[in-house]
Amino acid sequence: MIRTIDIIQYAYKQAPWRVQRQWISAFLLILLSLSMVAALYLDVTARAALTGRDIQNLNADLIAIQQSNADLETHIATLTSNGAMETRALALNYQPVQSNQVQFIVVLGYIAPQPSTLISAPSLQPSTPTIQPEYTQSLLDWFNQRLHTPMSMSMLGASQ
Amino acid sequence: MREQYAWRSLTLAGILALVGLSIILQIVRIQNSPEAATFRGRLAQTIETVRTFYPERGQIYDRNGHLLAGNTTVYEIGVDLKSIKDKHAIALAVGMELGLNPDNLYSLMANPPSNLEYLILANYVDSNKALALQQLKIKVAAQTTSGTQSSLSGLEFTPRPQRTYTEGALASNVIGFVSHEGRGYFGIEEKYNDLLAGTPIQIKVPVDPNQAADIPQVPNGTTLILTLDRDLQAATEQILDNSITKYGAQGGTIAIMDPRNGEILAMASTPRMDLNQFWNYSSIYHNASEYNLAVSTPYEPGSVLKILTMAGALDNSTVTPATTFLDTGSFLIGGIIIKNWNDEAWGLQDMEGCIQNSLNVCMAWVSSQMGAQNFYGYMNRFGLGRPTGIDLADEAAGRLKAPGDTDWSPSDLGTNAFGQGVAATPIQMMMAASAIANNGRMVTPHVLYAMVRDGRQFNVPAQYAGSPISAHTAQTLDQMLFTSIKNEASLASVPGYSIAGKTGTAQIPVEGGYDPTLTNASFIGWGPTDDPRFMIYVWLESPSASIWGSETAAPVFSQVAQKTILMLSIPPDNIRQQIAQH
Repeated sequence: MIRTIDIIQYAYKQAPWRVQRQWISAFLLILLSLSMVAALYLDVTARAALTGRDIQNLNADLIAIQQSNADLETHIATLTSNGAMETRALALNYQPVQSNQVQFIVVLGYIAPQPSTLISAPSLQPSTPTIQPEYTQSLLDWFNQRLHTPMSMSMLGASQ
Repeated sequence: MREQYAWRSLTLAGILALVGLSIILQIVRIQNSPEAATFRGRLAQTIETVRTFYPERGQIYDRNGHLLAGNTTVYEIGVDLKSIKDKHAIALAVGMELGLNPDNLYSLMANPPSNLEYLILANYVDSNKALALQQLKIKVAAQTTSGTQSSLSGLEFTPRPQRTYTEGALASNVIGFVSHEGRGYFGIEEKYNDLLAGTPIQIKVPVDPNQAADIPQVPNGTTLILTLDRDLQAATEQILDNSITKYGAQGGTIAIMDPRNGEILAMASTPRMDLNQFWNYSSIYHNASEYNLAVSTPYEPGSVLKILTMAGALDNSTVTPATTFLDTGSFLIGGIIIKNWNDEAWGLQDMEGCIQNSLNVCMAWVSSQMGAQNFYGYMNRFGLGRPTGIDLADEAAGRLKAPGDTDWSPSDLGTNAFGQGVAATPIQMMMAASAIANNGRMVTPHVLYAMVRDGRQFNVPAQYAGSPISAHTAQTLDQMLFTSIKNEASLASVPGYSIAGKTGTAQIPVEGGYDPTLTNASFIGWGPTDDPRFMIYVWLESPSASIWGSETAAPVFSQVAQKTILMLSIPPDNIRQQIAQH
């Protein structure tokens, strides 16, 4: 009986080189997986770094453009200042009007010009977050958030 | 043999396991040690930097949207002393582009103050010049062999905003200026400095570009829209300057206000200065009160104050327009004798005659009839002796002595009635007179029309400073002043328009009495009387061509009024009546 078992064991026992190859394959598989994860991580990190640098550059550009706009606005105002306009008008042979040269006529429905309204598009409030939490939170933060968020709110968030 | 190897292997594995375990234990220990917090703090300092975002200073516009004060970029040009390569080349390039002495620049770089790594060569450099220098640096760098430093390396440019006044000296007395440090001085720039400057925001920004961070949208400082009309302001300043030359005055001020709501349409004063060269301030002004005579310099206004005395007396029912007074040429009050401007007796006069002929004797009698309590009560209600609250920096309160004050004497009741012995600013007089022009309701003068913040415009509503007199009194006096101008064929009159007003010629107080020759000439008037659109105050300091306000300030008023009518497109009385009929 024992001999029979030994024979069977021997018959099914793998050759040592085969076992070694399995171990090596498993090790290489793990190594490959780790390499892939590392490569993916490096790729994402590099792209994030590049994007971050781009954002920094864009912010610098934004500030430069804002400064340039302010410069241009002031320059236009200087070109159309009272003194400059008067000089140009006189050069074009215009003369200051005198009160006895003005004729007033009644125009029904005429609405006199009103003082200036300088309204531009509403600007962003300083406290308004522009970056969603998905871009800043870590996996642990996300788990933490999910654990501490009541189920109903999570579902509500998902349905939105 | 095989067992021996197995034992050795197990020992080695055990040692390695122990080393690994001890490393893990050490990691855990360090993570939870008291020093860990310190290390974490240090790490936070290195991965984040605190940056302050300064808002752009708010702009200032006139009521028609013309920019009066804006911002431009100027540059600080300096050298990084550590990365500098060729001092001669930098000195030459900077000297050539900016018009500076290269030798001075070189010696500055050659002998920098100790412990200095960065040296400023020029500051507040115009952007055109700075950009030309930047281009030169780029050009030189392009010609340099790769791998070597450019001869202009180390030259650095730092942009910064600077306040720019597009109209130069126009309305300088009202606007004020901003120093290089960003603080507003005088006028609007000082009064609304906090609003204009905005609120700087400090945030932690990660140095690591991997870390995403919100860059705050720093809202700019509040933009202000003034009630001033730029073109009217320019015309007013021109008239003031011409008048000072024509009448040989030492200085002066002209202010134009809408008496219905207190909006200041123009406020000219001498001297003025180019706000883009504010550093000349100390060579132009001797003290702060000279910056804007209309709000900062109280003076004895003289006969223009008679309208307030008469307003009080009419309101108090002490007199009516028909009340008569026999002017004998003198009036004794508090131990002093009051005389008329020409030292003559004017005989029997009604109150209209008293105002029209500007009789000091009559007005002293009127105030004495009112009594000190009533008279000073009205002067208080008209706001004399305290600031009007106009939104300009450095407003003066003036001085109104009253019974109970140590320096008040009974004779003041007589002299104060015709504007001597009392000090008021032109803007105080305008605020008080607005009650007469505006059916008894006194307006608070203001220069701010609206403010724009976060894309929304907030208009400033008119504020009223009480009703010192009734509407009936105001209308009665208004009519008296209109008749006075009309009957007198005053130089202040404006053809086609109903104008009410009053001249003032006041002696100037000096040490121990009054100057025997010099006077202050003033005029206050408004129109059209049935629907006042403008109130004008003229003050000429010590005119030499004539001492009388009727011959100097009155014609100036007329000129300014005609210009105002043109600029505000106010139709003459007959056209307005036609419009009213429709």
